[in-house]
Amino acid sequence: MSYPVAARQEYILPVMILFANHTAKVAAMDSTLFLMGNEAIAYGAARAGAGFAYAYPGTPSTEIIETAAGLDGVHAEWCVNEKVALETAVGCSRAGVRTLVAMKHVGLNVAADPLLTLTETGVNGGLVIVSSDDPGMNSSQNEQDSRQYARFAKIPMLEPSDSQEAYDFVAEAFALSEEFDTPVLLRSTTKLSHGRGQVVQRERIEPASIEYVKDITKHLMVPQWARLRTRFIIERLQRLRQRAEVSPLNALCEGTADFGIISSGVVHEYAREAFPTAWHLKLGLSYPLPYRKIAELYERVSRVFVVEELDPFIEDHVRMLGLPLIGKEAIPADGELDPDIVSAALEPYLETEPPQGRSPVFPPAPRLSDPAPESSLPVRPPALCPGCRHRSVFTALKRHKLAAMGDIGCYMLGADSPLNALDSSLCMGASIGMMAGFNEALGRKASAAVIGDSTFFHSGITSLISASYNAADGLVMILDNRTTAMTGHQGNPGSGVRPDLTEGPAISIQELCDGIHVRCTTIDAKDYQAIAGAIKTEVATPGLGVIVAQAPCALLVREKNGTVLVDDDRCNLCGLCLAIGCPAIAPGEDTVGITDACTGCGLCVEVCKRGALTLSLGEEAS
Amino acid sequence: MSTPTDTTTVALIGVGGQGILLAAAILAETASAEGLEVKASEVHGMAQRGGSVVSTVRFGRKVFSPVFRRPDFVIATEKLEGFRGLEMLHNGGTLVCAATTRILPGSVLRREQPYPDDLAAAAEERGIRLLAVDAEGLAREAGTIRAVNVALMGAASTVLPFTAESWRRGLEKAVPAKIFAVNERAFSLGRDSVVTPA
Repeated sequence: MSYPVAARQEYILPVMILFANHTAKVAAMDSTLFLMGNEAIAYGAARAGAGFAYAYPGTPSTEIIETAAGLDGVHAEWCVNEKVALETAVGCSRAGVRTLVAMKHVGLNVAADPLLTLTETGVNGGLVIVSSDDPGMNSSQNEQDSRQYARFAKIPMLEPSDSQEAYDFVAEAFALSEEFDTPVLLRSTTKLSHGRGQVVQRERIEPASIEYVKDITKHLMVPQWARLRTRFIIERLQRLRQRAEVSPLNALCEGTADFGIISSGVVHEYAREAFPTAWHLKLGLSYPLPYRKIAELYERVSRVFVVEELDPFIEDHVRMLGLPLIGKEAIPADGELDPDIVSAALEPYLETEPPQGRSPVFPPAPRLSDPAPESSLPVRPPALCPGCRHRSVFTALKRHKLAAMGDIGCYMLGADSPLNALDSSLCMGASIGMMAGFNEALGRKASAAVIGDSTFFHSGITSLISASYNAADGLVMILDNRTTAMTGHQGNPGSGVRPDLTEGPAISIQELCDGIHVRCTTIDAKDYQAIAGAIKTEVATPGLGVIVAQAPCALLVREKNGTVLVDDDRCNLCGLCLAIGCPAIAPGEDTVGITDACTGCGLCVEVCKRGALTLSLGEEAS
Repeated sequence: MSTPTDTTTVALIGVGGQGILLAAAILAETASAEGLEVKASEVHGMAQRGGSVVSTVRFGRKVFSPVFRRPDFVIATEKLEGFRGLEMLHNGGTLVCAATTRILPGSVLRREQPYPDDLAAAAEERGIRLLAVDAEGLAREAGTIRAVNVALMGAASTVLPFTAESWRRGLEKAVPAKIFAVNERAFSLGRDSVVTPA
């Protein structure tokens, strides 16, 4: 079959393209704007009721935040990098507010750490991540196909093809995010982000207000809970694929020629212009792919092309179904496309014999691992050590009923019953950004960050600089034991100790905070009253404050001051000392009992209000 | 599997901080000294925070997988973990347990769950050979209660198919010099405590 070349040269007014059901009829209205794709994304976010937008500038994504900053209802900030931007957005989402994050493709690498766990926790208020790819490297150091991240993170991806869709798809993305409890990737490319087109503005959406509810099984990704959420995301992906099959964003556009083209994003417009009589499967919700809709195209035409920039992303999936196609053997795997490249690339193939065989094989739903066998034996979860001096921080912090954004390290054990002192844990260094976003969304000091010294050096510093720059409100507790305890007491910049046990300068967190204009107090964590007093003061003081609670790891000092004695007449088993979660305190029949594990740290003595506990110094006491 | 291998699987279980990794290292070095192939799998990270810890050592003329769910032997440095070991073992397996060592988990301390009691009856019910050892008493006799793990390995050495010379070489390779003497004593006391080697 030969292709009628003349048809390709038909000129179609962009504003009149009515190829898909979902595309609005563009009429000359006062509310019609002529917007750059990035501007349209910002307007779309404002229209969808997003309260916050965060980014680090990067071509071709920068104008999203610049535009959002000028729109009513959206508070926009530059963060120091894309990881911090996403973590801050997660804080807003937890607080129940729709939030947009924008970055260029390489920025998504920086934000990959929070993203790959955010997919487990899901969202509260909708969360949309815009990644703008730069095929052809107009202003980038590499070519990178962000679509791979949708597959990697098992999250849905939308790909608008023009400014109107950029505007409309943001609202679709927020709705999907909340319905499926997932972050959503909105993928753009240079020609969409920096292209311009008419945008009909639509009625503003008022998202339902969503309360924050503490739920560590959803928000605190320790192995115990993360294993359950992993099962959730595998099942979520199956449900998203069913949605992709029926979504109007994935439109099969009827043609008159006997071939079809699968494409997404602005590339669809190239393919449409190059081959207007072809059948087109336009993927707007392009991950997870709608396998059955793809198979439907194969029922209509005798040959199919996949046209895409960069990686053979759609192509790999279609080939996996066992369906023949012409893809990257014709379409360049590097650089940008345009209508001429597409038509020149595909025309020779139209002269060849159509391929044989078109029976798709749909992959079965993945199986989940068997649950652990049932056992009636008591479980033995790890616990914050007896004598851990940083237990004082949790005990004091709990009094203030702040949402405690935890971080990665052994202090995550502060989340366990009976301490119950943490609300969340996402990834290394996420606590401070999440706190900043959460407090910003709620307009008050509603949360604190809890982070260890080594995690602070890892990536808490950047979040703290970002919080300082953006005048965030909040309290950051840095639990400083001058080591990387969880992994086995490795050195870090706070100790200066290197793997070969040579020592460099020990970096002072206090001086670091001074240098970035953050109020900071350093306190001996062994002094419970001082810790409690400093926290009380900070909670009552507006703005951003850091408390560094210093004490060595209990496993390193292994000191036994003595033990605690219980006055049987005074103890009424009120439970105050049990609530500090020390493994050395156990309830007896009428009073508490102290086990051999007691190190004599004395925290339980401090919290007892009846004077029933006394510290007996010296080994012999036990 | 069509070709059965001669691989033996030993699971070492206990509470974080009890020295499961050292016990596993002694076993691995001993099997290695016998000229066998050895593969082991350890759980790190939370190991020192009082959680349950499992380490698996597999040895034989040829070993493929480093992990295997159904051990032939379980060596448990704590009684509740010994009960857990019973659930891992198949009928005819062997449990070597520090039966006088009780480390109460939080749920037991808070009286939410009972600490299980009759290990011998539970082992018999499942058809499992039990070697109950007062490893804590032996370790104390050797000079430090922290040698429960090595005293227990001494007892386990009587049911595992290695020569005394290999065990000695295993100890020398795995145990750091500054704590070698006390651990060697604990090992000997453990080995001698088993009257009739099975």
